[in-house]
Amino acid sequence: MSNRREFLKSIAVAAASVGVAGRFTYDVLAQAVAGRRQISIGGKRIKVIDAHAHLSVPAVGAVVKGTPFERNGNAAPNQVIGPERIKAMDALGIDMAVLTQQGAWWYGVPDRELARAVVKTMNEGTAAVVKQYPDRFVGMAAFPMQFPDLAAEALEDGVKRLGLKGGGISAGFLADKEFSAPEFDVFWAKAQELGALLFMHPGGDTGAEAHLRGKGNLGNTVGNPLETTIFLSHLIYDGTLDKFPGVKICCAHAGGFLPSYMGRTDGACVRQPDACSGKKRPVDDYFKTQIMADSMIFREDGLRHMIAEMGVGQVVYGTDMPFPWPVNPDTILNNTLITDAQKEAILGGNLIKLLKLSAT
Amino acid sequence: MPSRRQFVTAMAVAAAGAAGHRLAWAQGTPAKRREVFIGRKRVKVIDAHAHLNVAEVANVVKGTPFERQAQTTGDGIIGPARLEWMDRDGIDIAMLTQQGAWWYNVQDRALARDIVKAQNEGTAAVVQKYPDRFIGMASMPLQFPDLAAEALEDGVKRLGFKGGGISAGWAGAKNLTDAEYDVFWAKAEELNTFLFMHPGGVNGQGDPHFAGRGALPNTIGNPLETTVFFSRLIYEGTLDKFPRLKICGAHGGGYLPSYLGRTDAQCRRQDDACTGKKRPVEDYFHTQLMADIMVFRDEGLRHLVAELGTGQLVYGTDMPFGWPVTPDFILNARFLNDAQKEAILGGNLIKLLKLSTT
Repeated sequence: MSNRREFLKSIAVAAASVGVAGRFTYDVLAQAVAGRRQISIGGKRIKVIDAHAHLSVPAVGAVVKGTPFERNGNAAPNQVIGPERIKAMDALGIDMAVLTQQGAWWYGVPDRELARAVVKTMNEGTAAVVKQYPDRFVGMAAFPMQFPDLAAEALEDGVKRLGLKGGGISAGFLADKEFSAPEFDVFWAKAQELGALLFMHPGGDTGAEAHLRGKGNLGNTVGNPLETTIFLSHLIYDGTLDKFPGVKICCAHAGGFLPSYMGRTDGACVRQPDACSGKKRPVDDYFKTQIMADSMIFREDGLRHMIAEMGVGQVVYGTDMPFPWPVNPDTILNNTLITDAQKEAILGGNLIKLLKLSAT
Repeated sequence: MPSRRQFVTAMAVAAAGAAGHRLAWAQGTPAKRREVFIGRKRVKVIDAHAHLNVAEVANVVKGTPFERQAQTTGDGIIGPARLEWMDRDGIDIAMLTQQGAWWYNVQDRALARDIVKAQNEGTAAVVQKYPDRFIGMASMPLQFPDLAAEALEDGVKRLGFKGGGISAGWAGAKNLTDAEYDVFWAKAEELNTFLFMHPGGVNGQGDPHFAGRGALPNTIGNPLETTVFFSRLIYEGTLDKFPRLKICGAHGGGYLPSYLGRTDAQCRRQDDACTGKKRPVEDYFHTQLMADIMVFRDEGLRHLVAELGTGQLVYGTDMPFGWPVTPDFILNARFLNDAQKEAILGGNLIKLLKLSTT
């Protein structure tokens, strides 16, 4: 299964990079800041929240031991939360991070009991991290989307019993299924009922084909935003977001291609009305209300473009930690095209409001 | 083969849709030719993205497995209906490329050569008939790089074309950045010719995740194909190897011009990802890569202008497929000044292709 293989490879690469002379921390080193950096805008200390950070829970190893998923249970050292992660956050000036499991290998587990046990262990491990560092982390539940009823159950358990703020979701690991299919209504209904924020991160399923090989790591740099684009397109055009208007989903990597290239599908409806018969609103309306995106766009005008299309309230700072993308808070602070109020909203204000976090 | 079936279906659907679009126009607008002015200045409007079919191809593919691909009727055939449509929208000149790229699958060299010869001679005949309204672009069989180079040269030198139309993704597992394509890129560079890239419809076709509402094989599959195509040309070093290549990508150039940052950012964490190229990604878009303006949103157009510069953008409609992109999309853009509007609507191509300004 090439997608899972690719995923494991990326984990291995990430793990290796921790070992070699702080590859993981080069952005941190660039800061040359000792101790905890405190970020201010115009003299006002602001709380910086990273909406896109990953963790692994080593205890999952014991759950999958002796199963075909044994190798997936190996937690990459740089994804295990501890003093190293705190140090990296301190140096960057990140006050809090929203933690999701990376990838979605457990969507491939065909056994209900095993799937349930895997996410239970992940979620209890995530809750333990939050308990250990309550002022530094927000936890998000993992759930097995291959069993929509179990997914709903795991999300509810995570929110109600474990105090998690929502859940992390991927697309693309469920063979031919789309999350807009009716069997997933039970999950969307639960997410809506709980008022839980979902953070969508591609699982790495798309892009494992010949034309994406070679330079540029296109399997990641094109494949990841592509997976998110397909995911959101189905939720919009198949009518899922209209059916569940209380669902709120924040998408990784600037929300894939759609927020930056929003017009084509609605444009198609002019010549093919059936293409849009499943949805009720213009496409931008979904991005101004139910869909959010992280700020990982890497271009000044790209961020300005996202704000113009979605509204600043829908954009949140994200890093993909521990994967060392060039996205330290200075990329927001130094953007010459946005205002201080916009910077504060993106760096933390939006999530403080949405997740009802302490502002200090 | 799902991709070809889908393509034929798409043509049928598009034809039906386009007919409806024309009808709507006919009800509300006068039949006389619209002349576009910016201020008091009459500007020449050039559509860089228009398609044609050549009926004579039917004779060439008759009795072959490609018989169904030939279009002898419909609004891909250039005639009075197309001119009337252009007149109504205010389009003075359209640059014609063959749509799709089904002939990339022809395994027989002679047949492939005959198909593009018929297409190109048919295109030249259209231009000869309406010399002030159309610009011709050559088709090429990219499955045979040497024949592709030959067809491009023949089109430019014998038939008077301004360049060629290219698709990606129909050459199987091959990539147009493979070394065997150097002969083609070298020829395009030698001829100093202009290439218009339009997806062939291979991405997303038959992928179950593109099923359902939203026409996703088109609305995602098309920009995706262009994104992969441009990404490979950049990151594999083809554009550095052939620095005079100039390629315009359809549909806003796919996703890359609107979402330019991720792959270069990747290089910060994975050293070898960018070893094939020499310049920052935007540099290619400021020089060798261009895009049409089919992004359908004011803010999307503003972003394209900010990232690529006005000089790299050209007006395009995808005629006869009935997308909502009249020249008013440019004329009404409040963030553009008059010079920028004129450049996008026609000035850039007038300069690049050395066309008459009147």
